[in-house]
Parts: sequence; C-alpha cells; structure tokens
Amino acid sequence: MSLLEPTDGLGPWNQFLCRACGLIYDEGEGDPDSGLPPGTRFADIPEDWACPICGVTKSDFEPYQRRAPVAPASIPAAPQRRAGVVIVGGGISGWSVAEAIRAENATIPITLVTACDGSLYHKPELSVALGRGLSPDALRRETGVTAAARLGVRLMADTVAVGLSPERHSLRTTRGTLRYTHLVLAHGARPALPSSLDPALCWRVNDLAAWSGLHDELARGPRTVAVIGAGMVGCEMAEDLARAGHAVTLLGAATLPLPDLLPEPAARRLLAGLQGVGVRYQGDSLVRGLSRRPDGGLTITLADGTSLAAATVIAATGLAAPSRLVRSAGLAFDHGIAVDPTTLRTSGPDIFALGDCISIEGRPCRFIEPIGRQAAVIAHTILGRVHPGYAHAAPVIRLKTRSAPIALHGAPVAGSPWHVVEESEHRLAMEQRHDGAVTAWLAA
Amino acid sequence: MPSALALRPAHAPACSAADPPPARPDADEWTDAAVLAGTTAIADGALKAAAAAIDGGTYPLDIMARLGAAGALGVHLDRFGARFGLAVAAMQAASRSCGATGFLMWCHDVCGLYLEQSGNPALSGAVLDDHAAGRTFGGTALSNPMKAFAGIEPILLRARRVPGGYRVSGMLPWVSHIGPGQYCGAIAGVTGAGDTISHEIMFRLDCDRAELKPCPHFSGMEGTSTWGVRLDDVFVGQDDIIADPARPFIGRIRGAFILLQCGMGLGVAEGSLDDMLAVEEALGHVNQYLDDRPETIAAELAELRARVMRLAETPYDGAPDYLIDVLDARAQVSELALRASQSALLHQGARGYLMSAAPQRRIREAHFVAIVTPAIKHLRREMARLSQEILPTGSLQGGRP
Repeated sequence: MSLLEPTDGLGPWNQFLCRACGLIYDEGEGDPDSGLPPGTRFADIPEDWACPICGVTKSDFEPYQRRAPVAPASIPAAPQRRAGVVIVGGGISGWSVAEAIRAENATIPITLVTACDGSLYHKPELSVALGRGLSPDALRRETGVTAAARLGVRLMADTVAVGLSPERHSLRTTRGTLRYTHLVLAHGARPALPSSLDPALCWRVNDLAAWSGLHDELARGPRTVAVIGAGMVGCEMAEDLARAGHAVTLLGAATLPLPDLLPEPAARRLLAGLQGVGVRYQGDSLVRGLSRRPDGGLTITLADGTSLAAATVIAATGLAAPSRLVRSAGLAFDHGIAVDPTTLRTSGPDIFALGDCISIEGRPCRFIEPIGRQAAVIAHTILGRVHPGYAHAAPVIRLKTRSAPIALHGAPVAGSPWHVVEESEHRLAMEQRHDGAVTAWLAA
Repeated sequence: MPSALALRPAHAPACSAADPPPARPDADEWTDAAVLAGTTAIADGALKAAAAAIDGGTYPLDIMARLGAAGALGVHLDRFGARFGLAVAAMQAASRSCGATGFLMWCHDVCGLYLEQSGNPALSGAVLDDHAAGRTFGGTALSNPMKAFAGIEPILLRARRVPGGYRVSGMLPWVSHIGPGQYCGAIAGVTGAGDTISHEIMFRLDCDRAELKPCPHFSGMEGTSTWGVRLDDVFVGQDDIIADPARPFIGRIRGAFILLQCGMGLGVAEGSLDDMLAVEEALGHVNQYLDDRPETIAAELAELRARVMRLAETPYDGAPDYLIDVLDARAQVSELALRASQSALLHQGARGYLMSAAPQRRIREAHFVAIVTPAIKHLRREMARLSQEILPTGSLQGGRP
C-alpha cells in the first residue's frame, strides 16, 4: 500500500513486475535504497537503474496489473466434506496455484497443506536481505492466515504430508487424511547436506524460517562467518553477509567460484567482485568435518588437514527434492518428481507438480520465473479450461552479486568451451557454440 | 478383579500338550504355508469360538500355546529367517477372529525380539527357544519408556547401580501378557547423584519378583492379562540385561516393533469386512446407501497390506524415511480399522449391536488399535518431528563473534 497519494495528474500509482525474479516495483514506494524516492514514476527511472533483487535492467520489467480481487469464499469452520483441490506446499509455487485457480473459479474447495506457517515471501530476497538490513517481518508480504482468508483456502499449517494413495485420491497428513479431486505437489526441495556436516551446527537458507533463525544469530553484531559451497547461493550469501558487516570466508571446492557454470574469465571477475566487498575466498577446499569447540565457536576441518574457525557456519551445498512421499506412492521420480513437460502432470492420476520439486527430462529447474506459468497451466487443466500448455525454456540465470553481476542466457553446457566476444575493464561477453550456432551466452 | 492366579486357565500352559514340539523346530517344519495354515485353522476354530469370552476376561494361554507350536510366535526371529511379513500375516489371521489375541501375539513377538536382539547368551538360548515356541510367555512394558523417549511423559522405573547389576524400583501401569511365572521386557532410568538420569537400561523382568496389581476394568479386551507392576528394589543382574544403554537398542528395533503391530489392525479391519459381507445378501438393498462399502474397505485393505508386506522385507532399515513409512502405515492401519469397524456395525444394524455380536466388539478392538502406544496422535507427532529440518539452536547462547 502506498502512503503517498499521486499529485502529478498521471492517475494512480502503477506497478511493474520484474520478469526475472518477480519483484514488484511500486511507483508509490519507489526504491529508496537505489536513490528512487517514493513517487518515482517508472518512466522517470534512469535507464541504468537495476532491479534491487536480481540486477536486471528496466527493460526487463513489464506493467503489472493486480488481479481483481475475488470475493473470498466463506471458510468452513469444520473440515470440508467435499473433496476438492489439495495443494502440498506453502511457498511461492503452492500459493501461485491457489491464486491461479481462484482467478478463474471462486467456489472450488482448495486445501493448502504446508509444513511451515504458510507466510508469503519472495524467496530470491533471502540471499540479499541481510545486506539490505531487512527483518523477517519486512520480508513477509502476507501471513498464511490472511492469504487463506483472501483466497478462500482452507490452510493446514504446520502439517506434513506423509502418505499418498493415488488410486484412492487420498493424502495422509499429520493432521488427518484428506480426499482430493486433484492433488498439486509444490513442496519444493530441501538442502542436501553432506554427511560430514552436522545439521545442528550449520545453517541452510532455503526458507524464511531458517533465514529468520540465521538473522537472529547474526543480529548480535559482526561475526566471523564461513560459507561452505561457492555455487550461486553461496556466492550471493557471501556477498550479502559481507555487505552486512560480517567477516566472511567463502569455501569452494574448486580454484574459482561457480566452476560448473562459469568459464574462467567470468569466474575471475566474480571472484574479484566478491573480494572487493571483503569476502575472503578459499578455493580447492573440501570440507571433511564440522565441530563445536568448548568455547562455543565452530571449527571446520578440511581434507588437506588444515582447519578454519568461525562463529557461524552456513552450508550452501545444493538442493535435492525429497522423494519419499512420491516414491512410496509409486510415482515416477528422476532427480525430482517427473512431470510431463507440457501439462505438468505426474505419472499419478490427477496429480500435478511444479516448482523446485519437479524435474523435466530428468533435470530439475529451480528458478522463480517459470512458476507463474506452471501454476497457470495446472489451474486451467484442473478447471477444465483450454490452455496452450507450458513451454519449458531455460530461464535467464542472474547472479545477485551486485559487486559483479553476471547473466547467463541460453543453455550453457558444463565443460564445453566458451569464446570471448568482448573483453574490457567494464564488460565481458562470452558465448558457447554448437554446430556454428550460439547456444549460450553470458555478460559479466 | 480376580488375582493373577485365578486368571490362569487350569489346563493352560503348553506343558499340558501331549506331544511337545522339539526344542527348536527347524525351518522345514515352520514353512510359510504351514505356519499360515496352522494359524488360520486355530483362528477360525477355537479362537473364533472363544473371542467373546476373551473380550470379557479369559486369558487364552492355551490358544497362545497352540499358536506358538504352529510357529506363529517365532517366525519373525532371525533364527527362523526373520520372516516379519509372515509374522504380520499370522497376527492378522488371528486378529480377524479376536483382536485381543492379536495384541497378545504382538506382545509376545516383541518380547522374543528383545531376547534375541539382546545378544545376551543367558537370554537368547533355551530361554528364547521356549518363548519362540510358546512354551513360556512374556510381554512388553515399553509403553511408558517409548513415550518417555519421545518426550511425552517422564520415565517411571528408576535403577541404581549396585555390585553385579542394578536395583530397580517404581510402578508401571498397564503391562499386558504377564502373570505369575511369566516375564516382560522393561526399561528403567539409571539415576546417579542428584537423582539425574544418566542413561537407561533394558532388562527382562521376572514377574514373580514384582507385585502385580489389578487394573481397573477396560471396556473390552479384558483377557489380555494386563496388570499394574510394582517393583521394590528388584535386583537385575547381567543375565537379565537386554541392553545397556537402552536407547541405541530401541532405535535399532523401533521400526520392527511398530511394524509388527500392523497385524492387529489389518485383522480387525478384515474381520469387519467379513461382518459386512455376511449381511450383504439380506441387507445389501439398503446398505448400498452407506459410506465405506465392502469394496472400498477391501481395496484399501489390500493396498495397505501390500505396503506393510513390502516394509516387512527390511524391518531393521535405520533410515528416517523408512521409519516415517512405517509410522504412516501404522497410522493408516488404525484409521482403516476404525472406519471398517464402524461401517461393519452400520451394515449389520441391530444384530451387530447385540452384546454377543462381533461388530460391537470389533469397534472396541479398533479403538484399542488406535490408542495403544503408539496411538494415532503419537504417530502423527513423531512423523512431524522426523520431517522437521534440524537447524542450529544452541549457538545463541555460546560462541564468540
């Protein structure tokens, strides 16, 4: 809600959606962190302004129209007896499906089962929020209870989906068994922690609850922080922590950060950027163990026999989709819940899946951009409406390291050679080719 | 309430059998087919006839001895091939006739499991041979410690170390399948200075060394010989130790312990299905308007049983995902038994409501399945706990910047 009323005669404040990360620029609120005071019209934003979350430019934004609110269906006091749509997962994917169904149909019963409290927040913000001084409350856009009331959804918070019987259209949860007409699995992926790391000693930042715990620990003042894993999240977190005033060491398995994604010249720019904001990068480091010292601090033991002390340790060692629920129900699973690339149907009857928990042709796709399109396809199918289907395309990968933002387009293949197209002090452009055609390109 | 001795049928223990089985029946004798056929014959004959009496208070040690001789109480043990699926199937067959007897079989089965898995030669030799064949009887007193380990209630038995062993005191409510001359597996917290518990021990408790106190009447399943057990400075020596410390041992057998219980609920649900089908010809024209019709219950029962049988192939799988699968199956067994038994009574109407009728008894049996430890609420709580991600907590107190 904008506090400032428009006086420029151009009508009400407008909103613009970042196509890359989903951030909404509200003219009434502006972007004070980047020097845009409240009331800055989108047209008046300088062309070199960048999305405060993901770093894309103004041209990657599109006008955003909030959907006309659908009158909320009354929420039954008792569990509804009529089976309807059951959604598992209270993150962006789960809520997107609820929104997409309600945009078309106000009455079909929807139950949303989530292991957390169902708060709505924008997940990409988690890796840039410390440096921006944000609190958990500031990140929470709406509580689960409020969203459920707005959408006429029965919310089962703090509830785990534990068993699934596809033939009987029945989902067992820790608060009872639910019948469904359609089931949507949107429970995401979980951090994959190597067995050498004690989960009680290191943070993994994959949801708002975990981030809030980390935020509390760091709120007492600057600390020495070690980030294990120099992938996208590790690099982004390391920069964010450094910007928030902490002494950060980033541990990477290879000589340079992001070895699977970036060619050496780009990785060098990334490294220089990180070092420029104070991150100490320690490459070629394989972590063998993590333990707590008697004084309460933590010791990371490395494969080469050396060790490293830190007050806080964060593991950014990748994600894996949990498989127990779908495997025990006999659904196909291949690095994620296997879905049809067009319809997002799983191998089970009337069961769909989207977001971080799925895989398409054996490959997970854990980005924000496709989720809205996936939700729309599922909602239309459930409601029996015609839809052209989901068209999967590799999303643009943008590293939210403001010190050295990097964007990757196309379908980069690890190990395949990169060619320099342009290299200057301020810009690096490279591309991968296959049979003479450009298949991937990057700008750093 | 009668005393323990009065409850013991005069003709009961297996010593009355004319031709006692060999000390350790070989695998040839207890084939899958023979065990299931023997168990089913007992279940459909003597046990079915005695079900109402057992519900009212008769402790069927004679029938338990026959089930033991048939192999129904021993096949889950490593020495007989760790056939957990067969043990569940046998328990299901008996519970189809009498839920209380199915529960006694579970008590007996897990007691055998404790003795064998203890690795204690004093418990896993002749003592276990007699137990596995149903020549001696013993149950389990783990309801309280299981809830204590899950943080639901405090542990009730306390042990203190003495030369050569421990001395244990305390009072346990509701211990089943025990009596004079019998025994059970029990757990006590070992207290040191300041009454703090350092760890727990698990031991075989000889009931003759404890005081058995009558329990208030239950609404059903009264023939399970369930007592309050009072221990007053009872010495536990090395020969009776099952595990010291007890927690790692419990962690290892927990999946098997819970999975075996599924036999009870599957049998109660299957018996309820029998009750529905029994009146289908006469009442089908009106019963067609009911929820949970026989074909619905039968389909769910078949699917659930198949899942339990798959889980029974790896009863000692220690992975958290396996344990959640077991807890989920066990919870669904309870839910299905509740729904099936209620539907059976609705299908039968007044005839099922007669005090002598099976459906009203099965309703009470199904509720027992749903509330005996681990109850549905415990199972759901534990599944929620196991599904939670472990995150740092203690670092807020300690640690330098």
